[in-house]
Amino acid sequence: MELFELSVAQIIEGLQNRTFSASEVFKACLNRAKMLEPRISALLSFTEESGMAQAEAVDKALASGEKLGPLAGVPFIVKDNMCTKGIPTTCASKILAQWKPPYNAAVVDFLDEAGAILMGKANLDEFAMGGSTEHSAYGVTSNPWKLDCVPGGSSGGSAASVAAGYVPFSLGSDTGGSIRQPAAFCGIYGLKPTYGLVSRRGLVAFASSLDQIGPFTRTAEDMALVLDVISQKDDHDSTCSRRSRPDYKKALRADSLKGRKIGLIKETLGYKLDPEIKEAFDKTVKFCKEQGAEIVEISLPTMIEYGLPCYYILAPAEASSNLARFDGVRYGLSEDAASLIDLYMKTRAEGFGVEVKRRIMVGTYVLSSGYYDAYYLVAQKVRQLIKREFVNAFKSVDTILLPTAPTPAFRKGELVNDPIQMYMADVFTLPVNLAGLPGLSLNAGFSKDGRPLGVQFIGSWWGEEDLLSIAALHEKAYGTAPIAQGGVC
Amino acid sequence: MAVSADDIRHVAALARLEITDDEVQAMHQHFEEILGYFNRLNELDLEGIDAFALKVDEEIPWREDKAVQSSVREDALDEAPYRHGDFFRVPRIVEED
Repeated sequence: MELFELSVAQIIEGLQNRTFSASEVFKACLNRAKMLEPRISALLSFTEESGMAQAEAVDKALASGEKLGPLAGVPFIVKDNMCTKGIPTTCASKILAQWKPPYNAAVVDFLDEAGAILMGKANLDEFAMGGSTEHSAYGVTSNPWKLDCVPGGSSGGSAASVAAGYVPFSLGSDTGGSIRQPAAFCGIYGLKPTYGLVSRRGLVAFASSLDQIGPFTRTAEDMALVLDVISQKDDHDSTCSRRSRPDYKKALRADSLKGRKIGLIKETLGYKLDPEIKEAFDKTVKFCKEQGAEIVEISLPTMIEYGLPCYYILAPAEASSNLARFDGVRYGLSEDAASLIDLYMKTRAEGFGVEVKRRIMVGTYVLSSGYYDAYYLVAQKVRQLIKREFVNAFKSVDTILLPTAPTPAFRKGELVNDPIQMYMADVFTLPVNLAGLPGLSLNAGFSKDGRPLGVQFIGSWWGEEDLLSIAALHEKAYGTAPIAQGGVC
Repeated sequence: MAVSADDIRHVAALARLEITDDEVQAMHQHFEEILGYFNRLNELDLEGIDAFALKVDEEIPWREDKAVQSSVREDALDEAPYRHGDFFRVPRIVEED
């Protein structure tokens, strides 16, 4: 086994046993990334020097017998919409081209304190708006399983880098599916935690009532190890819950799904799915039954039919407000202008890409005088209705199973000029954000032409342990998905 | 609700986005499509639903109102495109007599 292929758990064990050093692991991951980057373009920047220094410090601490943090020596990558002190944080936008944050995102601090080593920052759809990572101002990321396909989005670079073996874990953010859909497209685990489990301090805000940070990993165990670190409480994010967190590693010990009720949504069963996604979904239903779970059919009529228009009113509305801060005065790009208003208008016209402009415009419209009641207020009510349906559903089931997306990874360019078709890829993921629930995508096989097929489990609020135990049992039954070779044989 | 090209220009002005005629046209088409889609929500019976009901299952946390030292001021100002001493510099907004 090559060092870049190791999981988080294997790196921790190997360092303790002195099988290899943290410097060796970091170099192996860095070499792997540098070899594949010309084909995959998952990263916007490397943190090679600081990373090497940290790896050497871990080795020194190991040699002198110091106590190490729980993720000491494990390299990772974060999506470039999370602040890293003194390291460019671009959100894949021209408007933040040169910007270096004055502080770290809470999750970056938590990982740093745990001894994990930042290796680079990942590409995304500009400001996390998109489902393919094609809407980046700095180039398109390729799917490491099939280079002519997209890796999904918006956390496409984070997903691709874990799938291709650059690092054993990365962080993404999920506002409407931006962790789960790329995890499905890239054949790895992706978790969108319950709203409020992970601090959002230092995550550049897109839609504050929907955004949540979560990990990508190649094993279920790694998911628990990373979640234990990033889900710490944070006094500086008032939306971060004060409830006590469990030890997520314990969830990995489940030996069956006996006594668990897993819901299948009637309305998704009738949805037109790609036949191979349907096959992967059916196979996963069978797996749940074999593990002893009871399968229950449930009805959630509003989420499939109306979740999408509801989301595409609320998310742009929040985005139009959050992105008002990019004004050419305080950070990033600033165009020459004679008046202050002109400075705003020109900077924003030059700095934002087409999809971001679309959403700012739609968001401004639905909040504007005369349209607020007709759109924004109606969508807020629909959101309540969707939440209410989930509350009822979780009275009769513990977990819900559905596909992550209706199709596997699509081709680059296929949907980029058809925004509404692109939005459709989120149909199964965005209701989870509207309700604030946790959702986990896992790999359930590959299509005949080699594209990963993902399915999604939705837990009840704070039900991450349920999701992790299902992931662990699934991995035990089907094995760990292989690492993508990025077109290199 | 039909949208006109002038509506698009008005929204762009509200959003502080300079917009070209080509962009107005493209945005107009996008609005027509997506608003048609949004209007589907009117099929639902939303009588009696509180739009802003929050599912509060824990108390909203408060912390002590205590001044703490923040060290980001200089770094933040340093990242501004134009600074003047301890201020962000912008084009003149008040005309001289």
